[in-house]
Amino acid sequence: MDKGKILIVDDSEMNRSILADMLEDEYEILEAEDGVDGLAMLRSHGSAISLVLLDIVMPRLDGFGVLAAMNQSGLIAEVPVIMISAESGSAQVAKAYDLGVSDFIARPFDALIVRRRVVNTLLLYAKQKRLTAMVEEQIRETERQSSLMIEILSHIVEFRNGESGQHILHVRTLTDFLLRALMRKTDRYGLTSQEISCISVGSALHDIGKIVIDEHILNKPGRLTVDECTVMKTHSIKGAMMLDALEGHKDDPLIRTAYEICRWHHERYDGQGYPDGLVGDDIPISAQVVALADVYDALTSPRVYKPPFSHEKAVEMITGGQCGVFNPLLLECLTENAESIRALLAESGEQSAARESRNIVQESVRPANSSVSDRTLRLLDYERMKYSFFAAMTREIQFEYTISPSVISMTPWGAQTLGLDEIIMDPGRDPKLQAVLGDDGWAEMLEKLRQTTAEAPNISYDCQLTYDGQSRWYQIILRSIWSTDMPPRFEGALGKAIDIHDTHEKMTYLEKKAARDAMTGLYNRAAAKERIETRMADRPQSNYAMAIFDLDFFKSANDQYGHQFGDQVLKVVADRLHRSVRGSDIACRAGGDEFLLFLEYNTDIERTVDRIFHSLCGPYENYDISVTMGVALAQLTGKSYEALFQAADAALYAAKRAGRAQYRFYDESLKDTLSAISDIDDEQGGTDQ
Amino acid sequence: MTLQECYAAMEADYDDVLGRLRSERLIQKFVLKFLDDPSYELLCTSMDGGDLDTAFRASHTIKGVCQNLGFTKLGHSSHELTEALRGRDAGAAAGLLDQVKADYAQTADAVRAFKQSQGL
Repeated sequence: MDKGKILIVDDSEMNRSILADMLEDEYEILEAEDGVDGLAMLRSHGSAISLVLLDIVMPRLDGFGVLAAMNQSGLIAEVPVIMISAESGSAQVAKAYDLGVSDFIARPFDALIVRRRVVNTLLLYAKQKRLTAMVEEQIRETERQSSLMIEILSHIVEFRNGESGQHILHVRTLTDFLLRALMRKTDRYGLTSQEISCISVGSALHDIGKIVIDEHILNKPGRLTVDECTVMKTHSIKGAMMLDALEGHKDDPLIRTAYEICRWHHERYDGQGYPDGLVGDDIPISAQVVALADVYDALTSPRVYKPPFSHEKAVEMITGGQCGVFNPLLLECLTENAESIRALLAESGEQSAARESRNIVQESVRPANSSVSDRTLRLLDYERMKYSFFAAMTREIQFEYTISPSVISMTPWGAQTLGLDEIIMDPGRDPKLQAVLGDDGWAEMLEKLRQTTAEAPNISYDCQLTYDGQSRWYQIILRSIWSTDMPPRFEGALGKAIDIHDTHEKMTYLEKKAARDAMTGLYNRAAAKERIETRMADRPQSNYAMAIFDLDFFKSANDQYGHQFGDQVLKVVADRLHRSVRGSDIACRAGGDEFLLFLEYNTDIERTVDRIFHSLCGPYENYDISVTMGVALAQLTGKSYEALFQAADAALYAAKRAGRAQYRFYDESLKDTLSAISDIDDEQGGTDQ
Repeated sequence: MTLQECYAAMEADYDDVLGRLRSERLIQKFVLKFLDDPSYELLCTSMDGGDLDTAFRASHTIKGVCQNLGFTKLGHSSHELTEALRGRDAGAAAGLLDQVKADYAQTADAVRAFKQSQGL
């Protein structure tokens, strides 16, 4: 287990280190030298701090200031504080206890006492948290049971009614929804969450009065006579009377609410309802809402005498006054939320019942302002608000990916830039995303993410993104998200894409430049060697040839026509070479007037070499360019750059000795021949003389 | 000079501190640190400048440190000074400051002598 963190806030360095020495074997110690520092620590570590040892007298902000701030943020409920001080005035002590301090440690410190107090306080807090959890669990269980009882009772009524078993659940779900929508719309009714829960639960009892109605009237298939109708209408007041007769529970909020609902759920806003003909908001809001929910569900559910109506049809009938007049605000709640209501009623009723009891537990167990969950939710809301604010402002492509559901959400700017949606469902099959990332782009990203671990979650790589008809290089930075299970499960990722196109272009350009001979634009020797070796390693099955050639008596061209002309000749040769080879061949100026060519071939290499050789020779202005060439085949030398080079070099030497202006293939007879390259200087030197 | 002799020289209670901190190594560590604590300096300058708030905090800190280290004599005089300063009683504080200065000198001398004898 991790060591608990203890924060020591004291302005005396010596006092801090005495305490630290006493505790550091068993705890991780954080130190702050005054109240302001202490608060900063509390803010950044939050409830990760197990306990605070707090001095009273400190510069900038004293211990009471720290306590006040901890009370305000609610942190005092989560992090126990032990006051350390030589202050012994009882007013001080009382004030500290009032501010939520758990214990005191008086100076001078006694190692045993300090350790023991710390342990006791930590144990006490842990126990308290456990007990709170147990009480919550108990209340939840009780709540669940009473909810179950109410459901059984109302189902008995329904059963006798011959109605579908879903009616009660629908009314309850709808009541809850309409009340919450109403609260968003107006503060006229000022209901607390707890009252809303109470009304929703109570709604299940709206028809209990029907239990005393004669079964023949209740389940009569045809139209009721006037007398029968009068009897039927008594169910509202009968239900109310049953509840009123519950000795000892009459004042229970749930019973009061259920009473209102039973009695008045057939009242109408214009006073035309029954039994009391109440008008407008004289009808309790609980009964108004249940009345609407009752009518709506009756219309949209099948009955023996009618098919189910659609949401639109039901709303049309209700707003048209065919079922009586309702509170216009409530009607707005109904008409404005068609989609949500449809989805809601499709949901299982069981879930909504469970949700209900949870609500009640949360409301009743936790004091409204200092509750842990409230504070956590507030913090979460704050973080969410902060994130969405910055996300909306940023001119960066940022995104979040979750596996389940498989969704990418992007910053607005990012989505706009790439021409994507801000929310991408099932990214593997999104054609727009595929167009941006390329066919395998998404698979590649997932592959990269799978290579990460919970311990090393970060990874970055470069790739091209295509949008607006262009491809640009981006650096993708990813951080994978893992569950806290053992072993951790991959859950998704956070990511960012940075446009590195310009830098990338520059790098490519520089790379190209570094690989090329400045005058001819051919590869330089080092670059050619690297490419040749890579090629042979990548495709070991192919046939390869290397040709080395130089210009005959080039030195004399320089001498005769000047160096500029000599350079011109080199460019011409490079150009001729360039034109007579394929893009996949590797052409290189190896140095001076010496060139190297590397070919991959399938069939007649002799003809190819012959063609290239002749294309190189021929007049340029008044100068007759002629070359001597040595060629080596990897078949003979083996697939090694050095071996090829030496063999081609030996062939070149032999060709020179045979009188220049020709090419020659390397063969076994040249095995011990000297190098031509090392002779080049000699030739030039010779001409100089 | 032993640690006990050092405590004796400053008229402090070695047995008390050993009983609480339970380790000679720790006591020695903190006794040597005593000379580095800036509170005494701060007390003198703030008293000179008439800044009684700061003087109170400094004196309070000295008192706390002395309590922890079992420096009985300096602890006693700094306690009296702290109380005078808590009431922002400049007159009484000025008188008590002399005693604190004398006790601090005696305490600091003893610690320095101990430090020297340890070759530190």
